[in-house]
Amino acid sequence: MALHVPKAPGFAQMLKDGAKHFSGLEEAVFRNIRACKELSQTTRTAYGPNGMNKMVINHLEKLFVTNDAATILRELEVQHPAAKMIVMASHMQEQEVGDGTNFVLVFAGALLELAEELLRMGLSVSEVIEGYEKACKKTLEILSDCVCSSAKNLHNINEAKSLIRTAVMSKQYGNEDFLANLIAEACVSIFPESGNFNVDNVRVCKILGCGVTASSMLHGMVFKKEAEGDVTSVKEAKIAVFSCPFDCMVTETKGTVLINNAQELMDFSKGEEDLMEANVKAIKEAGATVVVTGGKVADMALHYANKYKLMVVRLNSKWDLRRLCKTVGAVALPKMMAPTPDEMGHCDSVYLTEVGDTQVVVFKHDKEDGVISTVVIRGSTDNLMDDIERAVDDGVNTFKVLVRDKRLVPGGGATEIELAKQITSYGESCPGLDQYSIKKFAEAFEALPRALAENSGVKGSELISKLYSAHHEGNKNMGFDIESDGPAVKDMLEASILDPYLVKYWGIKLATNAAITVLRVDQIIMAKPAGGPKPPQGKKDFDEDD
Amino acid sequence: MDAADRCEQIISLLTLSSCLPVSPSLLQPTPVILLKEGTDTSQGIPQLISNINACQVIAEAVRTTLGPRGMDKLMVDSRGKATISNDGATILKLLDVVHPAAKTLVDIARSQDAEVGDGTTSVTLLAAEFLKQLKSYVEEGLHPQTIIRAFRTATNLAVSKIKEIAVSVKKDDKQEQRELLEKCAATALNSKLIAGQKEFFSKMVVDAVMSLEELMSLKMIGIKKVQGGALEESQLVSGVAFKKTFSYAGFEMQPKRYENPKIALLNVELELKAEKDNAEVRVKSVEACGGSIQTSVGAMTDDVLGQCELFEEVQVGGERYNFFKGCPKAKTCTIILRGGAEQFTEETERSLHDAIMIVRRAIKNDSVVAGGGAIEMELSKYLRDYSRTIPGKQQLLIGAYAKALEIIPRQLCDNAGFDATNILNKLRAKHAQGGMWYGVDINNEDIADNFVACVWEPSIVRINALTAASEAACLILSVDETIKNPRSTMDGPPGGAGRGRGRGRPHAH
Repeated sequence: MALHVPKAPGFAQMLKDGAKHFSGLEEAVFRNIRACKELSQTTRTAYGPNGMNKMVINHLEKLFVTNDAATILRELEVQHPAAKMIVMASHMQEQEVGDGTNFVLVFAGALLELAEELLRMGLSVSEVIEGYEKACKKTLEILSDCVCSSAKNLHNINEAKSLIRTAVMSKQYGNEDFLANLIAEACVSIFPESGNFNVDNVRVCKILGCGVTASSMLHGMVFKKEAEGDVTSVKEAKIAVFSCPFDCMVTETKGTVLINNAQELMDFSKGEEDLMEANVKAIKEAGATVVVTGGKVADMALHYANKYKLMVVRLNSKWDLRRLCKTVGAVALPKMMAPTPDEMGHCDSVYLTEVGDTQVVVFKHDKEDGVISTVVIRGSTDNLMDDIERAVDDGVNTFKVLVRDKRLVPGGGATEIELAKQITSYGESCPGLDQYSIKKFAEAFEALPRALAENSGVKGSELISKLYSAHHEGNKNMGFDIESDGPAVKDMLEASILDPYLVKYWGIKLATNAAITVLRVDQIIMAKPAGGPKPPQGKKDFDEDD
Repeated sequence: MDAADRCEQIISLLTLSSCLPVSPSLLQPTPVILLKEGTDTSQGIPQLISNINACQVIAEAVRTTLGPRGMDKLMVDSRGKATISNDGATILKLLDVVHPAAKTLVDIARSQDAEVGDGTTSVTLLAAEFLKQLKSYVEEGLHPQTIIRAFRTATNLAVSKIKEIAVSVKKDDKQEQRELLEKCAATALNSKLIAGQKEFFSKMVVDAVMSLEELMSLKMIGIKKVQGGALEESQLVSGVAFKKTFSYAGFEMQPKRYENPKIALLNVELELKAEKDNAEVRVKSVEACGGSIQTSVGAMTDDVLGQCELFEEVQVGGERYNFFKGCPKAKTCTIILRGGAEQFTEETERSLHDAIMIVRRAIKNDSVVAGGGAIEMELSKYLRDYSRTIPGKQQLLIGAYAKALEIIPRQLCDNAGFDATNILNKLRAKHAQGGMWYGVDINNEDIADNFVACVWEPSIVRINALTAASEAACLILSVDETIKNPRSTMDGPPGGAGRGRGRGRPHAH
């Protein structure tokens, strides 16, 4: 028999068993576009104040009720590789500016949808990409012309409130004035003159019961903990913070104590007790009235703390401990010893109180110059409170963005339509085939006011034609009037519905980038998923459980 | 030859096997898989309707427990433990609801329990009734956000109306305050198993709460259950009582009664250490008598020793109990419940808990409204009148809200076996004539001025119920899509930890 010469194997044969492989326009590009479109359709109905909530049950069976796109996507576990890219873009937006995640998704989805039309028309992928890139660059240039106002004084609560309101509105429509007020107060009170704003300094504490309107804000911190000892309220507190357990020191090495008789045994525990008493006494004598510890509180230590009228609070999270240190200006001591006056923090009042049926310890500053402020959220269900927490986060992030860049553009679809108008005329001035894709890029902007309108039960096309006509008359700030019943337009600057410039800037940039990346792919190769246990999901922060 | 033959075979096998899995995908386009396999999504108005229906089913379960003539439910859990209750929160907790939308109702019942402690059935019923009234509007295609806005307006109006008409009782007059508290406790107990003994228990509950300090920590009221005896044999001990006999050798010889003893509270073993000068009892958890808990036997000074007037060991039912009575600085008390079956005493405990919570709320917040459906009827009338003054869709929706409020008196009548339509007609007429506090009179199958009849509730209970119910209704309305990921089958430590942490819910008792 003649030696068999095997034929050169095809591409598929070169891969491992079970691998999938797709290539070409039809198989790869269109499939990707379809996946992204489907994803953006899910979140599109959640866009804007009238957007609907989604109920997402994640793999741990935790229930989320939200219209925050970032949360929906995080819990959805998107598997499609191309759709994942858009998800990633939206995550970037979340990290960069903290708001406008849905904007990225809807816009990227619209870009891809229109790209499909172009490709079917016969344009090559590279021409579409080139056009999109050009248009994106031009858009970002024009965007700075759209700026209609800028924040003057972020230390003014009323001004901050009106700026935060738009962001909160899209999450909690109906409660926006109330929540924006709380968030503004919280942000302004911790916004130092130096202009260095840290989002982490606005804390949120959720307590079940009552209604949203019972939420409040205070300077200082609130912990869902009980005081350990008998003392439950201290005014003008001097606070000693220990990162170690409030207990006697345990030596690193093991020692053996030989006890010969009963007397020695009694002296042994007595010695320990005396030492503890001396320790606690020293802390008291240093002037401290409140002891905060990061570890366990020994019964013995607690006994002496009660005796010397020290209030003892135990915090489990080391982050909480650090934040508390910052709030009260204390230094966390690693060892149980008497603190120096510098190391002790000060707080106007520390007290145990009951909110709903939850015991909370409150560290409160009377003046408004604290480093940390807390928003106490009340609500009738856990899901509702979670959603409000996200709204608060968005509001705080908006404040942060404004600290970085004070410029504002009109909201309610006004900026989008203005951009669409200008990019269309820019596209017409371009000679090449990319003219088509630039015009489609402009068209993609229409998806946002359209989503706003459709979510409110208004015909999208009707609104968009109205908006265009208003903008052609030179009213750059005309946007969709969400309060009205029909497709009405309103001056967004007067209605003070404003978005930070940076949110739009990054949103457009990231969405375009994601869309282009998806378009660039012409081959998908998926290896067979390996069996075996899943890798642990290490993303969880220590901080999450507070 | 042989070797070459086998070689060829192997090659053909290889190509075959590596070809097969790929070929189907080359022939026909596989559908786009966006989400993880097994993910379940449902969307749109039908989904919303199905959520509303689910909530209705939940409300059905607690509907019949409302009011003095409400029936109890007997539930047997997975471990075979039987519970008899007519407390909405307890029932819903035991039902173990998994439907995501229906869970919201369980949540609000819990929230009501946390905030005010009573009215858990009413809050569930209200939320379900709101949704029921809205169902037709949703089916007609009204945008849920419009409904939500109307509901928020209606709730705000209702809450401010309650605040406006609530009657506040002066705190200065101790006697008057006490009467108020007892009436509130009696109203709360009215709908419970122990309604027959409500005078007895409402007095006891008020006494118990009054003995607490400013913070009114619930933990400072101990409730001990002893089987046997009659309900009326239950007693309140101003101080501490616990089941424990003297626990050292030779205790039989010791007297069982001490007057004005000094008490050392220890939480260390009393084994090797020498005897002290008075009765030594190993105490597990005592925080009364003004003595601080001692960890050391070393420094036994006078100021750490507690005092009480009387210490005795008494037989209660089949158990021996230790009593510390008449403590000078007592900020705590213990209720010893007697009763027949275990389920019965447990339900009594829950009822007392509700009553205690009501009394605590009433102390903090001294305005009251009339119960028995009176306040709901008044609000309903107020909102109906208001709705007629506004144009547009809001009119219909606020009207629907007003109608939904009538569920409370209606259900009260249904549970008592009255003709609900008849009674509601009478009530509506009376309220239209300005009889603000007219509600259902359970005893005479008629209507009566419930304020005069002393059916009082703290206004905060009603305010919270309305807010929570409308928040829940709005939450359910605002959902148009449910996406359910398959439950992960991770069983390693990260999964376990994640599950515990992921829930992150404060477990209210």
